[in-house]
Amino acid sequence: MERAEQIKESVRDSEEQVFETASGIPVEELYGPAHIEELELDEALGAPGDYPFTRGPYRNMYRGRIWTRRFQVGFGSPRESNERIKFLHRNGANGFVITIDLPTSYGFDSDDPIAEGEVGVTGVALSTLEDMRTMYDGFGPDSVSYALSIRPPVSSVSLAMLACVAEEKGIPLEKVIGTQQNDPFYQMSGGPLQTTTRFFPIEGTLRLCIDNIEFMTNNMPRLNWMVTNGYNLRETGVNAIEDGAFTLGHAFDIFRMAKGRGLDINRFPKRASFFLSCSIDFFEEIAKFRAMRRLYARTMKDVFGATDLSCQRMRFSVQSAGNTLTTQQPEVNIVRAGIEAMAAVLGGAQSIHLCSYDEGHGLPTEESSRIALRTQQVIAYESGVTKTVDPLGGSYYVEHLTDKIENEINAKLLEIEEHGGMARAVQDGWLEEQINAARYRNQRDLDSGRKPLVGVNRYTISQEEERQIEVHRIKADEWGERRSEYLSAFRKNRDAQQWSDAMSHIETAWRAGENMVPVIMNALRNNATMGEIHEAMRNAQNWSFR
Amino acid sequence: MTDRNRILLAKMGLDCHDTGIITVAQQLREGGFEVIYLGLHNSADQVAKAALEEDADLIGVSFLSGQHITQVRKLFDSLRARQLEIPVVCGGVIPDDDAKELLGMGVREVIRPGALTEDVLAGVRRALA
Repeated sequence: MERAEQIKESVRDSEEQVFETASGIPVEELYGPAHIEELELDEALGAPGDYPFTRGPYRNMYRGRIWTRRFQVGFGSPRESNERIKFLHRNGANGFVITIDLPTSYGFDSDDPIAEGEVGVTGVALSTLEDMRTMYDGFGPDSVSYALSIRPPVSSVSLAMLACVAEEKGIPLEKVIGTQQNDPFYQMSGGPLQTTTRFFPIEGTLRLCIDNIEFMTNNMPRLNWMVTNGYNLRETGVNAIEDGAFTLGHAFDIFRMAKGRGLDINRFPKRASFFLSCSIDFFEEIAKFRAMRRLYARTMKDVFGATDLSCQRMRFSVQSAGNTLTTQQPEVNIVRAGIEAMAAVLGGAQSIHLCSYDEGHGLPTEESSRIALRTQQVIAYESGVTKTVDPLGGSYYVEHLTDKIENEINAKLLEIEEHGGMARAVQDGWLEEQINAARYRNQRDLDSGRKPLVGVNRYTISQEEERQIEVHRIKADEWGERRSEYLSAFRKNRDAQQWSDAMSHIETAWRAGENMVPVIMNALRNNATMGEIHEAMRNAQNWSFR
Repeated sequence: MTDRNRILLAKMGLDCHDTGIITVAQQLREGGFEVIYLGLHNSADQVAKAALEEDADLIGVSFLSGQHITQVRKLFDSLRARQLEIPVVCGGVIPDDDAKELLGMGVREVIRPGALTEDVLAGVRRALA
């Protein structure tokens, strides 16, 4: 590089630095004792593993156990996915995030015309109890842990499938492990308004969400359940403060509904967990995690009256922020994911999944997934940051920022409350407006260079210099065809009378307000499919979208 | 070409990643275009029908979950069935080889992540020319 250019570049850098966090909190030149003077440190921090959990949900944190490094699996048919899981299991993995395809995510069978071109593409297709049985071929649900990326209403069916599989294998329900995702609003990527109202009535979705919580609390006490998928919400472009407030506000709404159902606040939140994003602003994200834990503990204790410590403890898994990655110079994304993983660890995450560097190009390959895993292993086993608990605790800046973010999230929570809660905010479009405002703001900041993005609005290279990227190939047409043949044979071979009895029971039970999970289990045993069960539940609500 | 070209934007199939397309809608409006956004979950026929009814000068579709080839093929079938010759622009997470295939199928421009507002506007203007 020419010397003149070098100078120009460094001048430009100092001119364009913005001294605020990504969410707009001003950052001072130096932090000192005066910045945490008003904090009662003992009360605000507590000990790790104790109220208000600012320093971590467990006493010895990663000294006791390194966070879970989950593998993401799921493509094509249940058989192909199961074979991949078996391969990974032989190589030492025992926790898996199972992604499902889009038709299944919306409760459609693989042979529904709406599923054309989408079967098996983004995850595995699950239409029958037999499909779930195949997923667990070779394993018991008491020994390997699956976290299905799913939401109500569909999660009621997958939960019922899981319970049926346990039953068939002679495993008591109370021994089943794994994570049941159960967020009715944020699970589908993008703004939640259309995704939550397009194919199923929102009241029915919320009812099934609480049915699931009730069923798990009473029958499957070891099964974790995810309250809020803050990750997908954050991916729309909202900032750390909005992320914290929309995530917690939604969880508290669900808790109020569960309490309204008569569930015990000292029991049902024990296995509640969160799925959060870790973005690129290192200290802001660390402070966000610490602030959210504290605010959760305080709210659970003071507002909900939970006295059991495990009902005040917020636990979360983290995925690095896909929306911070670039298509240009994609290898640089490995560094971004590494910074984000480090922030998640210093923020006290229980489980981490890193985005692959090629996400801007297509679905990850085995090579790119392996690099993402290796990045975590370097942090876990080489960097030394795990050797003491909450190493940033007491830092003037981190404690000040944690406090500041807690206050900001709290203020936003009050705004949500004044609006009538998150469910209302989703339905009347208020949340959508907030999300869209964030999207425009982000784009403007990228265009103007106010938000620097290496390889995009500075330090770019020409298209010719970019390396060609191998991507995961999909076989949508082939998968769709095979699944259609399978389902057509499946429907032919079942007992029509038993099937039809089970189907009409869904409608009567829905109208009678029964907990639907056992009802769906019965339907699955009588070979009703995912799509048919959803159609019956829509019919019971006199609701149709077609 | 006037600056008040009508652009029809839509998400097709079950993919619900809409951050890109909603941002593009705003960029185009601010760039002087008239934008009609159909929202999520449209079929090829719905998009073609809307393009006809709205007298659109250009159709923009966006994908993040790997369905771009299937859906765009269906979209061209629906447009042809109505004898519509409207330029189509495709955006989203699209692998290099697929981008070439889409261009071969008749897509005018493929706009990928990292495009700044000026890139989006330039791509759309090229497609309209």
